[in-house]
Formats: sequence, C-alpha cells, structure tokens
Amino acid sequence: MGGKEIIQDIAESAEIYVAPDGKKYSVISLKAVTSIAQTKGWVAREVEIAALKQGITPWRYLRNTGTIGLDGQIKLLQSAVAVVGAGGLGGTIIELLARQGIGHIIIIDNDRFAEQNLNRQLMSTEKNLGDYKATVAAKRVKDINSAVTVTTFLKKLTKENAHRLLKDAKVVADGLDNLPSRFAVEEACRDLRIPFVHGTIAGFSGQLTTIFPQDAGLSCIYGSSDSLPEQGIEVKIGNPSATPAMIAAWQVQEIVKIITGIGKPLRNHLLMLDAMEGIADNIELSRY
Amino acid sequence: MASIAVKFYSLWRQYLGVDSVPLQADNLDEALAEVEERFGPRLREQLRADGAQVDGKIQDYSLILLNGTSLRNLKQTSLKEGDTLQIFPPATGG
Repeated sequence: MGGKEIIQDIAESAEIYVAPDGKKYSVISLKAVTSIAQTKGWVAREVEIAALKQGITPWRYLRNTGTIGLDGQIKLLQSAVAVVGAGGLGGTIIELLARQGIGHIIIIDNDRFAEQNLNRQLMSTEKNLGDYKATVAAKRVKDINSAVTVTTFLKKLTKENAHRLLKDAKVVADGLDNLPSRFAVEEACRDLRIPFVHGTIAGFSGQLTTIFPQDAGLSCIYGSSDSLPEQGIEVKIGNPSATPAMIAAWQVQEIVKIITGIGKPLRNHLLMLDAMEGIADNIELSRY
Repeated sequence: MASIAVKFYSLWRQYLGVDSVPLQADNLDEALAEVEERFGPRLREQLRADGAQVDGKIQDYSLILLNGTSLRNLKQTSLKEGDTLQIFPPATGG
C-alpha cells in the first residue's frame, strides 16, 4: 500500500485541538492511528511517525511535544533502548519509556517477581509473583503503548552475551543490582559505541551518570572491575518505595536528551540525590 | 603539608552531620588516617544503631574519590593544595 494514500488517510483523520491558551494543534486519535495501521497493513508506530512528519501529533504525545518537539518525538519513535534489569529502577524506566514513546524497548532480565519486590518494583503485583519480570514488563508496555516494539531476553547479561543482547540499542539503561554486571554492560557499550545511563540506589539516596564511550565511567567511581566492593550499603539498609522512581525518572530524562539532542546529558558527572537531607550533589568525574 | 577538603555525601553525611571539613596532610595515607580517627568510630556507631554491622576502617567500606576518581585507581599517594577527597557509601541497588 502506498505511502501517499496513508498520508491522505492521516490528514483526513486529523482533528483540530484548541488549547486553553488559544493555540491550535492538529492531532490524531489512537483509534484513528490503529484503524489506519490495520487497514493499510502498517505498524502503528510508522503511522504515528508519518503523522508527526505532517505536523499532526498523536494525542498521546501531545504533552511530550512541548518539550521535545515533533522532531524529537519522531527520533524517540525511531529509536531502540535496552533496559538491563526489570526490577526497581528497570521497571520504572520501562514504564516511562513506553509512555514517552520510545519505538523499541529491549528488556533483559532472567529473574522472577518475589514478595520482597512489592514495595518498590513498579511492575510487581500480588497476582504476578513468580512470573518473569521481563515478560510482565513487556505486557505492561503493550498495554500502555501498543505502538512500541518489545524484545525480551530472559537471560542474565554476562560479559559473554552482552554485545549480542545490546547491539541494536541506541542507548542502554542500567536497571541492575550489582557492580560486576554493570561493568560488563559498560564494557560492551564502549565497544559498541552506545551511551550507557548508569544508576544505583540505597536507602533514601541514589546516584546516576551518563557514560558515552569516550567518557569517564564506572571505574572512576568504583575502581577497577577486579577490586569492586563486595556489596552495597543497600544490602543493610534496604531500598524504600520511592527511591527507585527518583533515580529511574532521571535516567529516563537522560535517555530522552541523548536521543533527541535536547539539553545536556550528565556526562563526566555523578549526580547524587539525597532525599533524606533534600540535597543534590554533582561530583565531576575525571579519568585517571 | 597540603590543605585539602574532605567531603561526605549521602548516608555518610547524614550519619556524621558533616558536609565538608578542611584537613592538612602530605599524602593519602595521612589523610585517610586522620579521617578514620575523626569520623570512623562515629560512623560505625551510627551504622550499628541502624542495624548495619561494618568492619574495618572508613576506606574499607566506603567509596573514596580523589578529585573525581577512585582511590583504587591511583598509584601516587601525594596530595597537593586544593585536592578534594569525596567519601560516600557504596550504593549498588537497583
């Protein structure tokens, strides 16, 4: 089916929305996007991109475009993001990426939900205890945004498989809970020339940094991969409900900035958010 | 002797009630010994009060950066005027 015909269908389905400030927007509904995609044999995401290219915003992204513009939304829809770990950080990252309209989300996790996850892992519920986190997260993404392509790997990421699992991503997000796996991800990302958005949490605090291939990275914070701390303080003090969301939200902002080219990613800086004291610190990292 | 700054972050700052302290030291060993003497017992006491038992000195259970890079990477131990030691707990959760 020709693109011209689809463009015409999109234009005919568009509506005019007048915002409270009087500004007019050309918008298209989820129902119309779905109908055009089904009728013409396109995937919904391609219909959304075609609409945005004509200046027509899918309703679902209307509140996104004020910050990133239509071009920014197109870039997000055309991008793949890998999320390694679908627990506390990862679950929230996945949820927000789906709502933001990332075109392809790759979810890597071999763990299943357990009761102790219920306090903070967004995707966990009483009903899905025992289910694979990645499978649950994939279903959640499709429930939120059916235009998003989801790939799941029910695997633990290792140095051996990291390159294969991450190679299609434009950005990789850290939802892990241990340092050796994070170092394996960082190494693969440097090899593959992919930015890596690192985050960790403990208690009421968390920290993040964005690592481009040429940047200072995890070794500046933790030392070399053969001298890592055995465990974090979170093993002793735990992770309350809101801490993962606090850091995951920042990580998603980083991903959006990297893909759209808007703003300034947190490169070579470790942002530490201390919710107990209400303090944000920003430590400049330097390569040794 | 070099005048340096020692900064605590996150939970360590909460426990110690200290944000930044000046310190005089010629090298890292001296600086770390001073940090341990002044803050180690109080930090371990606070951790124990929260049910977390830790062993050793501050540098054994903390992440410590000198001007933004981990001490674990550094071979040189001398300090210069204006250096900053950044000290915080290892957070690895997700």
